[in-house]
Amino acid sequence: MAAKGGAAPATYSPSLTTSKEKRRAPLFSEADWVRPDGRGFHQCRLAFMRTAAVNSASGSAYAEFGNTKVMVSVFGPRESKKAMMYSDVGRLNCNVSYTTFATASRGQVSDNKDFSAMLHKALEGSIILESFPKTTVDVFALVMESGGSDLPVIISCASLALADAGIMLYDLVASASVSYLGKNLVMDPITEEESYQDGSMMITCMPSRNEVTQLTLTGDWSTPKIHEAMELCLDACSKLAKIMRSCLKEAASPSQVEE
Amino acid sequence: MAVTGGSDLSSEMEVDAFRRLFPLRFHERHLLESIRPDGRSLGKARDTTIALGAVTSANGSALTKIGCTTMLAAVKLEVMTPTQESPDEGCIAVDFHMPPICSPAVRPGRPSEVAPVVAKQLSDVILSSGMINLKDLSLVSGKAAWMAYLDIYCLDADGSLFDAALLSAVAAFSHLQIPVVSLSDEGRIVLVPEGNGGGKFEKEPVNKEKRKLKLCTLPFSLTCALHKNYILADPTSEEESIMETQLTVVLDSSGLLVSLNKPGGSVFAHTSVIQDCVALARQRLKEVKLILNEAISDMDVD
Repeated sequence: MAAKGGAAPATYSPSLTTSKEKRRAPLFSEADWVRPDGRGFHQCRLAFMRTAAVNSASGSAYAEFGNTKVMVSVFGPRESKKAMMYSDVGRLNCNVSYTTFATASRGQVSDNKDFSAMLHKALEGSIILESFPKTTVDVFALVMESGGSDLPVIISCASLALADAGIMLYDLVASASVSYLGKNLVMDPITEEESYQDGSMMITCMPSRNEVTQLTLTGDWSTPKIHEAMELCLDACSKLAKIMRSCLKEAASPSQVEE
Repeated sequence: MAVTGGSDLSSEMEVDAFRRLFPLRFHERHLLESIRPDGRSLGKARDTTIALGAVTSANGSALTKIGCTTMLAAVKLEVMTPTQESPDEGCIAVDFHMPPICSPAVRPGRPSEVAPVVAKQLSDVILSSGMINLKDLSLVSGKAAWMAYLDIYCLDADGSLFDAALLSAVAAFSHLQIPVVSLSDEGRIVLVPEGNGGGKFEKEPVNKEKRKLKLCTLPFSLTCALHKNYILADPTSEEESIMETQLTVVLDSSGLLVSLNKPGGSVFAHTSVIQDCVALARQRLKEVKLILNEAISDMDVD
């Protein structure tokens, strides 16, 4: 009994992920395969977005894209930290955190700092920072469940929360990503697809101004494919921005008749 | 939220200003009329909702709202080797988090002071109430048992955090689905794939019958704010910040007292006040039990 009991506890954990990562899915390299959730290659997940999710914040939003569930609160404009230098324009402060149960195996998230910086860069260009000099706007995101394409969802949700908080914006920011899997471009990938991807592209843009605030590209791409991927992302962004806009309108109109 | 008070719009601004400048007087004038700023009577708790299965990446989860206070609780199970002292018992780890999204007072990197206090209270109540028999978490005596990680996240902090957190924890445990596992040849615990239930799996599952955790009794709580001789059930964060002290009563589902907590404050609580609080908690217990049962039966239908 002692021999078996002496094994490290980790060997006991019934994790599916470790065995899965070793075996590269042969499925994706073939020409025709079906996505795990049955979507078409260029089809996005159903997007659900709502504003005013957190009462104690200046503005907030909740976004649910498939299994990716994100909540963003915006606080401020409020007093900057004492140590900060004087600034004529407002400051933006972003933070992204994950719940311990967000991923399949508990507490395996490490790239929060990275995401916080990316979120900051994606939003910065859309905010009229001159409208709140000397103060700071805090944007805090919590990923309740990670189901793939987390960062685009966080960025879009944060932009909606900023609008809900009444922060002056040039335009809403919408974000979308594409995975390069085998020979195919896969829109709005889920976690499983992201783990097998050969390359990825994420575009963050302000659709009504036709401006891109952030573009990241990883992996091995050919120029025509990049072009195709960009078209796909920009199209998805403009559609998402419509959803976000209608969500804001919905939130603004019934408030007069609230009991 | 509807704000009672100034009935005509012209006085609206003045009421708001009065509320911010003289919060105590504002509330005391309400108390004289036996009503609270949000329209509740003194002994009434806010509207409560429970949604089970809010997070699919956990084995059990629940989202609860008491008024604006929102909590997300999730239970994740992992296999561990039990300790030598208790070879046939599992383990429960309780943690309570207040991420910066929940309140303007919490900043990233600077954890709130309330969170560890609530975490300790929760862990004490859950482990001491006898809700879960740790022996039920055992898989193979001396070799393998479940380690249940209960993590509760406060998504919106508006008073009575402990009540909402405990309710979400209880709801998450009632939603918990224990995965089917079997013993491999090397004596390791392996997960039986979900879809394979019908087809014969090569190994016999260890815990075929025990998919649901048996909850012996369910603890429910009510926090009351005490102010002079008033008792306010289920205070909001505004009320909590003004009132003199608080008292939290935890009862189990049969109405027996599990825990009583008065965290200091400037006034003493008389025996009669404590008895009144317990009576209010009894009433609240019936309400909450009904809401939880409804949420569970809704879940079974789906």
